[in-house]
Amino acid sequence: MPAPPIDARSLTARTVSVTPCGDDGFVLRIRPDVGQAPLRAARFFMLRREDRLSPAIPRPFSIYRQVGEDLEFLIKNMGTGTAALSQCTPGTRLRLIGPLGNGWPALDGEGAPWVMLAGGIGSAPFFMGIEQALAGMDGRKPVQRESITYLYGAARRGLLYDIEAFRRLGVRVEACTDDGSAGFKGNVLQLLEDLWKRGEVPRQVRLLACGPERMLEAVENLARARNLQCWLSLETLMGCGVGICNGCPVPTVESGPMGAWPNAKCCVEGPVFSVDDVTLAGAH
Amino acid sequence: MARLAVHLPPLALRNPILSASGTYGHAAEMQHMADIRAIGGLVSKTVTRLPRHGNPAPRICETEAGFLNSIGLENKGLDYYVRELLPQMAEQDTCVITNIGAERVEDFVELAARLSDEPAVDALEVNLSCPNVQEGKLPFATDARMAARVIEEVKRATKKPIFAKLSPNVSRISEMAIAVEAAGADAITAVNTVLGMQVNWRTGKPGLHTVQGGYSGTAIKPIALRCAWECARSVSIPIIGCGGITTAHDVLEFMVVGCTAVQIGTASFGDPGLVGRLAGEVEALLDSAGIDDVNALIGTLRTPQATPRATRPHEGQQAPCASKT
Ligand SMILES: Cc1cc2nc3c(=O)[nH]c(=O)nc-3n(C[C@H](O)[C@H](O)[C@H](O)COP(=O)(O)OP(=O)(O)OC[C@H]3O[C@@H](n4cnc5c(N)ncnc54)[C@H](O)[C@@H]3O)c2cc1C
Ligand SMILES: Cc1cc2nc3c(=O)[nH]c(=O)nc-3n(C[C@H](O)[C@H](O)[C@H](O)COP(=O)(O)O)c2cc1C
Ligand code: FES
Repeated sequence: MPAPPIDARSLTARTVSVTPCGDDGFVLRIRPDVGQAPLRAARFFMLRREDRLSPAIPRPFSIYRQVGEDLEFLIKNMGTGTAALSQCTPGTRLRLIGPLGNGWPALDGEGAPWVMLAGGIGSAPFFMGIEQALAGMDGRKPVQRESITYLYGAARRGLLYDIEAFRRLGVRVEACTDDGSAGFKGNVLQLLEDLWKRGEVPRQVRLLACGPERMLEAVENLARARNLQCWLSLETLMGCGVGICNGCPVPTVESGPMGAWPNAKCCVEGPVFSVDDVTLAGAH
Repeated sequence: MARLAVHLPPLALRNPILSASGTYGHAAEMQHMADIRAIGGLVSKTVTRLPRHGNPAPRICETEAGFLNSIGLENKGLDYYVRELLPQMAEQDTCVITNIGAERVEDFVELAARLSDEPAVDALEVNLSCPNVQEGKLPFATDARMAARVIEEVKRATKKPIFAKLSPNVSRISEMAIAVEAAGADAITAVNTVLGMQVNWRTGKPGLHTVQGGYSGTAIKPIALRCAWECARSVSIPIIGCGGITTAHDVLEFMVVGCTAVQIGTASFGDPGLVGRLAGEVEALLDSAGIDDVNALIGTLRTPQATPRATRPHEGQQAPCASKT
């Protein structure tokens, strides 16, 4: 039975600050009562307020940045859970379950360059992902700045959260919007095709993606069609985050390494999966 | 230091706090989250004879004050449970209760017979009440004769004590309780989830793929409390209360209405450490109230005496009607 990571705990924390970000998002900075070791990018926590203003079931959020003892989450207002978090003030007590999930695979500088595709709030797990790739992960060769292309798409300019922070990391950042209000007009897949056509990105790349399900499905199809290595960070609904409620199934690829059972648990077997393992597009 | 040990004969629990089926995995997963030795017992996720893949997503959705699920009893079946999960549960220093589920009496019997020989199993909980199979038709949950037949046959197939887990989705839960007691159940777990649903009026889409599902969490506590009370006053076997229990106060409320033990379900999703802390919190409450044994509270509900004369309905006046208050 896949178990939650051995470093995961049920913790409390206090709010340090809530800073608006983009049209409908905010950065929630918190200080856990127990210090956290350096965390791998794309791992996540389940989060809720300790007072009765949050729904009883915590919500999953990727770790955005780790700053000293503090953790930062980049959060988009979606409904009741995120609204309650957005109304925290300094000192508001929080329940925190984690760190959970696997995080990105080792992003190394040995093979093909990396192309990271983020859609909307799906950018959250990439900030530390890029930092860690540049620093070297798991003792592997660090990735060179020019071997990372970060493609960030959203419906409009105001939903490209904190894009300047990504630019400051020194990797190539390209934006796109559905309405053309910032960067390329179109989605991240069209942007990638465009860069390929213009020869600005090599044909052989390794893909990482996080964003809305429709986008991830399209990325999966692209990876299969071009035979590219590809990992997706998935955002299913989650009840527990620790593998006990069975509320977060993701279809597995029947002929793949996880195919013995028709669904994987996003929370404990993911949230990052290779497209060899799982499929949003219904691959067999 | 109040005494917390309780009896579900023949089982002795170190305290009345159990984890509820399907909400605490098989506990080995949770050993970093909670002190398992501080839990009175662990109830497994429902095990079925053959593997079940469960229902399509979305399987969960949160509503105003509770949680809807329609997992559909996803599990890898009895062989896998006995081989992989039971040994992990057995390693935990607390009682192990295996919850079994089936859609046919024969399958219940086979499950019970196989588990009868497993020394790690301290008791079987018979899930008569899952709302997420057979399109919520709940055959064993709502028909007292069918429920009694399952319990009778399971009893015959095993030497283990058996708990009958009842559904709140019935008109008179006392009839179900009386039937399973007569059929040989050693205890009753009251209750499983309440049937419910959610819909988004803009999209017209239901919150769950199966449309309806099981409602749990704080919202159902008053329903569960009433069910537990009704069972407790109808039978003489012990009652295990379940439904919406989140705090030590909740635990003691269920004991006052007649429960010997309780199970913690959905509250573990909000804080997986809770079930390991509750016994300590219950002890502190009892100490502060000057009660030295938790058993002293069981069934101490003080029902109001006969209606005082002054408020009795006069002739010609209408009797107070509960539904109009
Ligand atoms: C591993 C993981 C990491 C995540 N990281 C982040 C993050 O860093 N920042 C961030 O803002 N969000 C993140 N999410 C998504 C976040 O958990 C949801 O947006 C949040 O749970 C919504 O809660 P709510 O109570 O505000 O909305 P609800 O009131 O629960 O829902 C409002 C509406 O949003 C829909 N919805 C809810 N959850 C999701 C979802 N996961 N995907 C698509 N639609 C959804 C509901 O169906 C409903 O229509 C992550 C999710 C996962 C699984
Ligand atoms: C996600 C989830 C899965 C559940 N799975 C089972 C199960 O497999 N077998 C069972 O008997 N009850 C199952 N239940 C019901 C609980 O054990 C419990 O009876 C119910 O949730 C009411 O208690 P609560 O309000 O404390 O959660 C499940 C409940 C939830 C929320
Ligand atoms: S969220 Fe509960 S099993 Fe994954």
